Amino acid sequence: MTINKIPIVQGDFAVSDVEGTVISTVLGSCVAACIYDPLTRVGGMNHFLLPGNPDRDGSDQSRRYGVYLMEMLLNGLFQKGAARSRLQVKLFGGARVLDARSDAGAKNSEFAKNFVINEGLMLVSSSLGGPQGRRIEFEPCTGKARQKFIGTAVPEPEPKKISRELESVGDVDFF
Amino acid sequence: MSVLDVLRIMVVDDHISSRMVTVEALQQMGVKHISVAKDGREAFTKLNAEPVHLAISDLYMPDIDGFQLLRAIRAHPKLGKTGFIILTGRKDATVVQNAVKLGVNNVIAKPFTPDVLKKSIESVVGRLN
Repeated sequence: MTINKIPIVQGDFAVSDVEGTVISTVLGSCVAACIYDPLTRVGGMNHFLLPGNPDRDGSDQSRRYGVYLMEMLLNGLFQKGAARSRLQVKLFGGARVLDARSDAGAKNSEFAKNFVINEGLMLVSSSLGGPQGRRIEFEPCTGKARQKFIGTAVPEPEPKKISRELESVGDVDFF
Repeated sequence: MSVLDVLRIMVVDDHISSRMVTVEALQQMGVKHISVAKDGREAFTKLNAEPVHLAISDLYMPDIDGFQLLRAIRAHPKLGKTGFIILTGRKDATVVQNAVKLGVNNVIAKPFTPDVLKKSIESVVGRLN
């Protein structure tokens, strides 16, 4: 079976029902939602970041960017025959990767969790927050998601040996 | 009394979160009478019972989509002149052409800023304040 790889970047999403497809992305404070319908075996992933600054008029409607990407992903799934009631959601990312005053990762994670609750979707697993970035691989036809932690974004004066060990145990399978 | 006190707007979107974003933007503008519907069918039923000046509708929705809702409204003897703005994630030329053919008043690409929404509404109903 040939593996069809679809890498996505921030502001992007992909939906597929083709066997052997793997959608991948690399996340820092961004969040990716992996959504899967087990009956029609169609799945998809998005990758979003809510902008940190409020709008010019002072209102903070920044979550519309997240809403947009969630909606594009859900509509893409519906068009391929998925049903809202069967959808299983996995959330990844939202790391506190920069030494910033505002924790953008937490804001993105909070948004994603609220979205899932508001839309009445089923959250089956999540790996959010923490200091490390993540590489995510998602199989849209099986719903399997795999994450690998990648380095600590805040440089810490740790011996290299320890951080290598951390990386080797950072391989986690989510089913 | 300003336009904002009497203007009635309906927001039609199948995603609760999208509806909330639009409704909040309208509230921030000072629009007082806002109703919502979760798809074209519910919107048409509600509009029959209680007409509005302007409908702001998502394009892609299950069952009755934004285009079908627009067609039904334009063909209706009493609701025919309702203002209609379509929200879409993909504002390409085909979408705009089809919308114009059906008699849309404006098309907005998602994600939109409150500013863009306001200007678009004003192009249909006139200055809000």
